[in-house]
Amino acid sequence: MRTLIALARVGTPICVNSGTRTLHATAICCKNRAARIRVGKGDRPLTYEQALHPHHIGHRKGWLSQHTGNLQGEAGASDRTVEDMFVRRFIFGTFHNCLANEVVIKRRGNMLVVCALMVQKLPPQKFYFLIGYTETLLSHFYKCPVKMEVQTLADKAVYKYL
Amino acid sequence: MAAPMVVGRNIRTFGRIFVGVSQSFLQGSIGLNSCRYHGRSTLCRPLQLPATCLHTGTFSSSLPSSVIVTEEPDTLYQKVSLLVKGHDKAVLDSYEFFAILAAKELGVTLGKVFEPPKNIERLTLLKSVHIFKKHRVQYEMRTHYRCIELSRVTGSTAQVYLEYIQRNLPEGVAMEVTKTSMEKVPEHLHEPMWNDPPTEEKPSQ
Repeated sequence: MRTLIALARVGTPICVNSGTRTLHATAICCKNRAARIRVGKGDRPLTYEQALHPHHIGHRKGWLSQHTGNLQGEAGASDRTVEDMFVRRFIFGTFHNCLANEVVIKRRGNMLVVCALMVQKLPPQKFYFLIGYTETLLSHFYKCPVKMEVQTLADKAVYKYL
Repeated sequence: MAAPMVVGRNIRTFGRIFVGVSQSFLQGSIGLNSCRYHGRSTLCRPLQLPATCLHTGTFSSSLPSSVIVTEEPDTLYQKVSLLVKGHDKAVLDSYEFFAILAAKELGVTLGKVFEPPKNIERLTLLKSVHIFKKHRVQYEMRTHYRCIELSRVTGSTAQVYLEYIQRNLPEGVAMEVTKTSMEKVPEHLHEPMWNDPPTEEKPSQ
């Protein structure tokens, strides 16, 4: 801009383009992208959990991890979060490709209850073995009773297609 | 198995109430009230067992046959206040319904049941990892409260009721219990000081 004004003062005939030189600060950060799956062609199946956005938690969605760490005046939120992340990755890896939805983790007193929805990909004996293996390993690791509540479906429950 | 245990506990609680009333300087009506509310059985028929007096289900599984009979008087609580905290109001509603039902069935007197105002803790953080200071994201953590007060309970009643309630506490819900107990007035405060004769004062040296 300053160069153009300076040249205009000098008086040299210049072809001034109609466009101006400006700095464009992108608004990429304006839209929220957290935990949202963008609208696509209509062939991608989504579960209820994936289809609802995070601002619906407490209104149309429930909580995936239920503990008292985040209440006013209670401590231990970070420890519970780290344990939750480990348990989710562990379950995801143990039951390879069998999870139909996110794992729900509840803490009642000392007990850790892991609730999962599974697809019937493996025979039931393998399921029982993996459930027992997870329970024993996690209870030895976290020094607290760990229980798994598993429900199996034939296919993933689809809420909508995006 | 359960019936003799209930008899034992009933007699023990009545015994404690009798001892408490005779020894303490408190109003006798408090002890009698708790007697009445314990099982709606009058003082003249202490052996009648009301069905809703004590919940022996969970007790018998955890403590098979350990009924302790002691001569020391039971602590009396003027008020036992339970403050329940949670993120979900519907869970607290159903827990309050459960606690009130349990108290009515067990014959525990209820005081006030009210809902203190919720507390929202908000955080405003930068949305992006590196720059873009003008774009922020806000999170909030809501804590809902519910307060249930029990009035005029004995120590053993409070222990039984609280153990039952706490075993059935839902996940993600925290509870704080505040007990206000009643004690005897100490001996040296029975009489005012100006009534004492002046010869009781110790010499300065």
